[in-house]
Amino acid sequence: MRNLSDQEIIDSVRKGNESDYSIIIDRYKNKAFSMLKRMLKNEFDAEEVLQDCFLKAYNSLDSFKGEAKFSTWFYRIVYNTALTRLSSKKRKTESEMSSVEDHFDLESHHNADDIEKKDIQEFVRDIITKLPERHSAIITMFYLNEMSIEEISEVMQITVSNVKVMLHRSRNSLRDLVLKSKLAEELL
Amino acid sequence: MIQITDEILNNYLDGELSREEAEQVKAELRTSEELLRKYNALKLVHEKLFDMKEDEVSPAFTDKIMNQIVRKKFAIPKQQKYFIVSIATFITLLCLVIFGFSISAIISSAPSSIGESKSVLDSVSNLTDGLVTTLKHLFSGSGLSIIGSIFSLLIIISGYFFFEMQKRSKANLGNGQQL
Repeated sequence: MRNLSDQEIIDSVRKGNESDYSIIIDRYKNKAFSMLKRMLKNEFDAEEVLQDCFLKAYNSLDSFKGEAKFSTWFYRIVYNTALTRLSSKKRKTESEMSSVEDHFDLESHHNADDIEKKDIQEFVRDIITKLPERHSAIITMFYLNEMSIEEISEVMQITVSNVKVMLHRSRNSLRDLVLKSKLAEELL
Repeated sequence: MIQITDEILNNYLDGELSREEAEQVKAELRTSEELLRKYNALKLVHEKLFDMKEDEVSPAFTDKIMNQIVRKKFAIPKQQKYFIVSIATFITLLCLVIFGFSISAIISSAPSSIGESKSVLDSVSNLTDGLVTTLKHLFSGSGLSIIGSIFSLLIIISGYFFFEMQKRSKANLGNGQQL
């Protein structure tokens, strides 16, 4: 059962085997949680929103026609629910229009000395949470969930080139921080 | 020679450049130490991002959601719940009224004291007669038409909810077949 495709599991759930939905939950919970945690910057909110997302997806399974991959459809629910939560909390959020003019200054959060104090892996993990919500969502989807740029653009409803611009911008910021650290001299 | 921008370097890292462009970047990397340093740092970040580990939700997460799904499945819809409660309340009230009315009618038709009657058998028979008379009175003439109207109303309301339920199950069946 664990080796079944998402579509096969969904078909089974639709036929009345609700318990099979737990396979879908187990398959996506940690990946979606990682994305939400980085977008919402709060573990408790992330888990609460994730619960809503799985229930929302379950209640809307009938509207999933299988034209896109289930993962793309599900991550769209996750991404939109996270944006709704952010705006309802009146936290600083970016416009839902496909503007890529997100200015962020990672150096104000971290200086070069921070990198030496930490392992570079740990540093990278920490700094992602400092990125604007949409940038951290892209980084998580691309690197952790191993989604293609096209899939990410479908999830976020923005153009492929905008996804690329945001991905490159995030990577460049991290690179600049690494270059400014002394650690870079040892590693590079 | 092309100008090696951050954009081109990123595209080179992602393998999105044409063969010709990639060769040009490679040649530039061989000659420019600064560019090589930039590229290596970018590659390092790229690799570290790929090594990122997933965060884990609480252990009972899946069970929590499945419980909610099961609970929701067997839950009676709010509208239906109100209907059942109001019908039950109405029937209980109706029974109480009938019972109270019967008792008062029996008491008024019975002898002033049970002790005055000849035997216990007589008093039981008197009580039964009183009950029958009261029920006859209640279900005849205007009493019957009032009760009839109330039951008709109940049948109409129940019919509406039954029709709604049928419609919902038909829709669910239709959605299942859409696959």
